Amino acid sequence: MKYLYSWLKEYHDFKQSPEELAEIIVSLGTEIESLKSQIDEKIIVAKIIEVKNHPNADRLHIARISDGKKELEVVCGAPNIEAGQLVAFAQVGTKIGDFEIKKAEIRGVESPGMLCSERELGISDEHEGIKILENVEIGEKVSKYLSTEVVLEAEVTPNRGDLLSHIGLARDIGAYNKSKLDVPKIDLDQSDKKASDELGVEIKSDKCDLYCARVIKGVKIGPSPDWLKEKLIAVGAKPINNVVDITNFIMLDMGQPMHAFDGKKIKSGKIVICDIDKEMDVETLDGIKRALLPGMLAICDSNDPIAVAGVMGLGNSEIDDQTTDIVLESAVFNRKSIRKTAKLLSLVSEASYRFERGVDAGLTQLALDKAAKMIQELAGGEIYSGIVKSGDVPRHDPVKLDYKLINDLSGAKFEENDVDAILNNLGFEIDGEMVKIPTWRHDIHDKEDFVEEIIRIVGLNKIKPEPLKSGSTPAPSDYFKKEKIKDLLAGDGLTEALNYAFLSDTDVVAAKIDPADLVEVANPVQEENKYLRNSLIPLLLKNVAKNPSFDDIEIFEIGQIFTKENESTSLAIVTSGKSARKAKDVVDNLCKHLHVSGEGFKLYDIDRDELQRFKIKKQSVSVAQVNLAQILKEAKFENLEIEADDSDIVYNRVSKFPPVKRDLSFIVEVKIQLDEIRKEILQTSPKAFLVEAFDEFADKRFGDNKKNVAFHVWMQDLDKTLSDQEADDQISKIIESLKQKFSADLRS
Amino acid sequence: MRQGHLHPSTMFLRKLVKIYEELGFEVYESPEVDSEWYNFDALNVPSDHPARDVQDTFWLKDGRVLRTQTSNGQVRFGEKNKPPFRIVIPGRCFRNEATDARHETTFYQVEGLCVDENISVANLFWTIDQMMKKLFGNSIEYRIRPHHYPFVEPGYDVDIKLNGKWMEIFGSGMVHPIVLKNMGIDSEKYSGFAFGLGPDRMMMKKFGIEDIRLNLSGDLRYLRQF
Repeated sequence: MKYLYSWLKEYHDFKQSPEELAEIIVSLGTEIESLKSQIDEKIIVAKIIEVKNHPNADRLHIARISDGKKELEVVCGAPNIEAGQLVAFAQVGTKIGDFEIKKAEIRGVESPGMLCSERELGISDEHEGIKILENVEIGEKVSKYLSTEVVLEAEVTPNRGDLLSHIGLARDIGAYNKSKLDVPKIDLDQSDKKASDELGVEIKSDKCDLYCARVIKGVKIGPSPDWLKEKLIAVGAKPINNVVDITNFIMLDMGQPMHAFDGKKIKSGKIVICDIDKEMDVETLDGIKRALLPGMLAICDSNDPIAVAGVMGLGNSEIDDQTTDIVLESAVFNRKSIRKTAKLLSLVSEASYRFERGVDAGLTQLALDKAAKMIQELAGGEIYSGIVKSGDVPRHDPVKLDYKLINDLSGAKFEENDVDAILNNLGFEIDGEMVKIPTWRHDIHDKEDFVEEIIRIVGLNKIKPEPLKSGSTPAPSDYFKKEKIKDLLAGDGLTEALNYAFLSDTDVVAAKIDPADLVEVANPVQEENKYLRNSLIPLLLKNVAKNPSFDDIEIFEIGQIFTKENESTSLAIVTSGKSARKAKDVVDNLCKHLHVSGEGFKLYDIDRDELQRFKIKKQSVSVAQVNLAQILKEAKFENLEIEADDSDIVYNRVSKFPPVKRDLSFIVEVKIQLDEIRKEILQTSPKAFLVEAFDEFADKRFGDNKKNVAFHVWMQDLDKTLSDQEADDQISKIIESLKQKFSADLRS
Repeated sequence: MRQGHLHPSTMFLRKLVKIYEELGFEVYESPEVDSEWYNFDALNVPSDHPARDVQDTFWLKDGRVLRTQTSNGQVRFGEKNKPPFRIVIPGRCFRNEATDARHETTFYQVEGLCVDENISVANLFWTIDQMMKKLFGNSIEYRIRPHHYPFVEPGYDVDIKLNGKWMEIFGSGMVHPIVLKNMGIDSEKYSGFAFGLGPDRMMMKKFGIEDIRLNLSGDLRYLRQF
């Protein structure tokens, strides 16, 4: 929700700046998503003395301006500047959002600042030309003449529905500042005519706690005054007409959603709040036809729905330009019921959002009075005396106050007086051992709940971190065994792949799996997420298909697989190309290491047909898979130390375009390390992103202390497909560089 | 000849697990497919609670779910073990949404749980401090701020400062009495804290990974760099 700094201040006169306030709100438990501030004080009024053309750009101008003390030349792209205009000049150092104005050179001309449009001043989205000012003094701060609202946008957590209003947030800020918020009283000018003679209200459902209505006649529907429109726009609401705007204003102000009906359209003169008993089609105020289902709560004109309670009004009772009589609704509906209805209708409105999180039933009648008073002021009309009402203000159960528990659970030492004062400022009433929970707090049920209240108000820095008692050494779990197996496989040259837990219809067809055997997702957002995998193999085969620039692929995965009966941990190995036969060696090696028989392993070659179904171009692919639990049961591990050092890893982004692979072999001195050469290649060639050594051996025929080394070099371009010519150029550079640095001789 | 490669997520989970191991936490693993009870209700997230909207859940046709966080192991472990205990639960979690460079259906999480007599917010803050320093070094700037999670009371988020901006990396809090009760643990006698953090964003930051989807792509140009 968006809050105005000035609106919050109407309820609690805090001294903090917008930035300080934002930090306080965060410290109280609500995240601030954005803060739109006032016009920076470094923006001042300047007068344009002369406009010249920019020497190097047709669309730019150079404005010679005066700030009253000195003259400056500023580059400006706006089409509407003329000599003699008064404009907003942002000097060097001005902050506009996150952006700070610096002295800049624009197409060869230096500009010590800029002239601002309305958007840069933050007063509108207008960005066509610069803002021309009137009746202002040169050299003064622009903020003196143009005010913009400071807007704080906050993400309120679902437990704190009470914060979805300016009163609510101001109350929290007040408690932080050690003061208690008082809600101002409303004096109404009511006529002699009684509302109850015009309208009846009856609740016929347990999903409505309280329903209040007022009758106002003789109003004139029209646009709202500018101040109200601006306020609504500033917090992201769309002005409609005076009456509707007032109901929205009250909701943002006090958190109470309201609804205004056209009084003449309520023909029976009786509002009945009841459950829908059979499905019916209606049109909601947003112009969409919807089906109301049995059990949904409706506001009815006797028997006919005129609103989906707490969610949205219906078109049949809508306020229009001809409306003169209105019935204003302010009510408290059951939170769960509203949530369910809004979900079923896929219609989350500002009203349902608040009802779902809980409104302040203590303000329901006051909100009605404030709205009636504003309507009379802005749209005229006669307020019929009295509130027509049914039901009562629901009360929360009191909760025990346990000072010892507060100190034990927080680990701090709070004085009882301080605890009392904080709770009091938040609106709680201490009554002996018990605390009365205010009508707006729906999140306080247990004595533990006060711990949070106390800590967030005094500040988290009041809690001194306390070491944990030293614990016992944890027992080794299967986790470490699995990780150790990963280390062993990587030690054998395999690359660990991790794949999704899902299979798509295409995967199922390629792998010839019967979908009836698979666990199926009921609500996949993406087609790929339709089934849960019952084997690691299909996705590992897809990995092979996806990597055509790698001749020999040796990958493994350890992960969960699923059948309708159970979930288990599987290990699978897939090797292909020249090293296709390697899967068997890897399995043998692993079994030897772990002293297991290797019985549970299934080893096989993928047949030609299946290779085709997976679009694998390689001739041969072997796989091995096993239920890991079976291995872990027998396995003996020499140690369970696992590697976790990634400090040496440098990652290069991979391109959307295919790589080019080249192989290089050199004769170098024996003492030169492979990794030195690898790093040199990466450093020399900006297009090389992956370099792997694949051969190293010494032989007399290369000369004394010489060896042969060979590397695969993968190159790419991030923006296009790398051409052969470009790849050749890179290779030449690499050869030259290795020759210089290591006296490496290329083997042809 | 060829050096093998571990997946970067594997490395990051290990790093976290090792840090917790030093603090006396034992690794426990929970299933990826679980009942609605262990994933939601037992953690004080009933079906009619707006907190469920925060997560887009993969529901299976048989009524179970793909766990939305590894906290599903909390009550599973708690109901079978007597306090005191300290566990960490590493693993993958699932979110039912369309993917893009920053959003994934599948992500990693390490959940921690510590239950004993007299465990306090002060103990949690100490543990967070240890964590942050071991992970990011002694000069890391971090802040703790209150945040609501239904399974803890009170709840806290931790942000670290990266390039002048706060980045949320850690959720935590004191185990809610209802959750303790669901483990069969007397909340008058025992208290505890829980925390959860996702290594994916940290990993992306550390290596400069531009697209989270690469992580489960099986692309060897990516995997063989680690």
